[in-house]
Amino acid sequence: MKVGKIVKVSGPLVVAEGMDEANVYDVVQVSDFKLVGEIIEMRDDRASIQVYEETTGIGPGDPVYTTGEPLSVELGPGMIEAMFDGIQRPLNKFREVSGDFMTRGTKVDNLDREKKWDFTPTVKVGDKVVSGDVIGTVQETTLILHKVMVPPGISGEVTEIKEGSFNIVEDICVLDGEKKIQMMQKWAVRKGRPFTRKLNPDVPLVTGQRVIDTFFPVAKGGTAAIPGPFGSGKTVVQHQLAKWADTEIVVYVGCGERGNEMTDVLMEFPEIIDPKTGESLMKRTVLIANTSNMPVAAREASIYTGITIAEYFRDMGYSVAIMADSTSRWAEALREMSGRLEEMPGDEGYPAYLASRAAAFYERSGKVICDGSDGREGAITVIGAVSPPGGDISEPVSQATLRIVKVFWGLDHALSYKRHFPAINWLNSYTLYQTKMDQWMAANIDPEFAKNRAKSMNLLQEEASLQEIVRLVGRDSLSDEDQLKLEATKSMREDYLQQNAFHDVDTFCSLEKQNKMLKLILEFYDLGMKALEKGVYLKDIEHMPVREKIARSKYIEEEELHKIDEISVELNEEIDKLIEEGGILNA
Amino acid sequence: MIYMFKVGVIGDKDSVLAFKALGVEVFTVTEADEARKTVDTMARNNYGVIFITEQIASLIPDTVDRYDKEIIPAVILIPSNQGTLNIGMDRINENVEKAVGSNIL
Repeated sequence: MKVGKIVKVSGPLVVAEGMDEANVYDVVQVSDFKLVGEIIEMRDDRASIQVYEETTGIGPGDPVYTTGEPLSVELGPGMIEAMFDGIQRPLNKFREVSGDFMTRGTKVDNLDREKKWDFTPTVKVGDKVVSGDVIGTVQETTLILHKVMVPPGISGEVTEIKEGSFNIVEDICVLDGEKKIQMMQKWAVRKGRPFTRKLNPDVPLVTGQRVIDTFFPVAKGGTAAIPGPFGSGKTVVQHQLAKWADTEIVVYVGCGERGNEMTDVLMEFPEIIDPKTGESLMKRTVLIANTSNMPVAAREASIYTGITIAEYFRDMGYSVAIMADSTSRWAEALREMSGRLEEMPGDEGYPAYLASRAAAFYERSGKVICDGSDGREGAITVIGAVSPPGGDISEPVSQATLRIVKVFWGLDHALSYKRHFPAINWLNSYTLYQTKMDQWMAANIDPEFAKNRAKSMNLLQEEASLQEIVRLVGRDSLSDEDQLKLEATKSMREDYLQQNAFHDVDTFCSLEKQNKMLKLILEFYDLGMKALEKGVYLKDIEHMPVREKIARSKYIEEEELHKIDEISVELNEEIDKLIEEGGILNA
Repeated sequence: MIYMFKVGVIGDKDSVLAFKALGVEVFTVTEADEARKTVDTMARNNYGVIFITEQIASLIPDTVDRYDKEIIPAVILIPSNQGTLNIGMDRINENVEKAVGSNIL
């Protein structure tokens, strides 16, 4: 191929001429350092290249070699438990080669070519297979059975299939005597992997976080955004979701955030035992890190790398969750490249195509029937954090995101200042999956669940308006009923919505427990109202000893949920006693 | 239809017995619990005005506060035969202050 010549270098953007043979989105190697770059714009024979590595020391006249291939990731066994950079280079291998920080131009295979995997075929010679069909399996980790699939666009009759130990580039299967299949396949990151049909997401992603599961659930295959100002706990919420969401695979993209947050993930996840499988959480996690000190251009690619890996696991029939923390940094990377390309800026300098890029990314989520003849279902749930400067979500990235996602968890600085975590504001957050999720809850948890949820939300909204009166004229001017309402919603806020991510028991709360806890708090409110009607003094209701037990019910372990029922019995007894003592029986 | 409310008085026997002569219903109580129940029962039973001695009222501030927020019954504090504790007058002063902004009495 023809070799181009650099004419301009501007940070991560390099312009080269003599590139008439290359196409847009081709990967190129820049200068003799062989830095990885991608063509993002072509004018005549001039190509604008975003370089995924540091460009210091590169100048006009240096060569550019085209590869003729689009930016691709390698998909195959060996991705789980690994940590990649934005263009899927393995960081642990990097360390062996170049030390703690990346040296540019280092060549490392994306996936380990040496390691042998035990391949068990699931098809026989003579079987007809189409693209997406599973031809065999590899036990990648104790949790994940890696299904080796026929790559998209290939089909035929199996003429040879092997069994045993192979590395990922050895031929394991031959179709029609000529099409050779390896365990590894390549896929261009900017193109969505094919599937048969999209389905309507109707199963909730259980996250074990009360405020999310009860009030603002996201469906498996849905999209959610977490916008919030600095220090409001976006990252902790993302980590909690990565830890506890009931998906089979988690892809965590650390995109432009602090390096120590990725370190947290690296240090914590192996120690956390997944309650469902009894195995380390790391055994189902893929990490992609482009921390704030890594090259900007690779940040733009990291989101695509992440979702392509997620799509690959979805194609196996798994439910995948991808967390992107944070998409604002990704948008800023877009802005930086756009600025250097001298494009016409849109709002706040973001490129005019910001919204369509964000939409294209979120649209790759979904619950689908995968390619292949067995009709298996897979899902990708995308959860993106957004960091609006100053916490003001009227900025372009938040707005572009909100237009696409169906769930909005608005983090509130005032709440985090009050140490109310997770600081998800229940008044302005929303979910558009509510009806579907209510149906699922009614069928699987409790027919009353939706009713209780709606009632609780009403109480919380009434609380907000009562609080305004309280601020003006003081609490004592409210009627006893309203004061009890405030008491009940306080309990709801402190004992239900607040959840300690760092408490061994409280960090995860099953739907069963959520249902019981919510019922208990509503029962307190209903019984309290009844007692008030009978003439019991508000003070006596407020100071019932059982209330402390209600407050501590979140620390009841999952195996001992009957204890919540016991508290409910106790609550009934105490209320009855109050009515008997203080109530006016002849009323 | 004119609705008739009753008037009652609560206190220790010596202080309130004389009210009987005026045709007011008299309830003699000595303990807080008893007083509380009596007031609550009267409130539910169509009493429009309840006089209560300051001594007894001082035992049950919650109950007195409770009817502050309601129009009926009016709970009015009166001194007992041992003299006044000034709670009744303080309450009036307080209400005046609330109503006009400064104590004009």
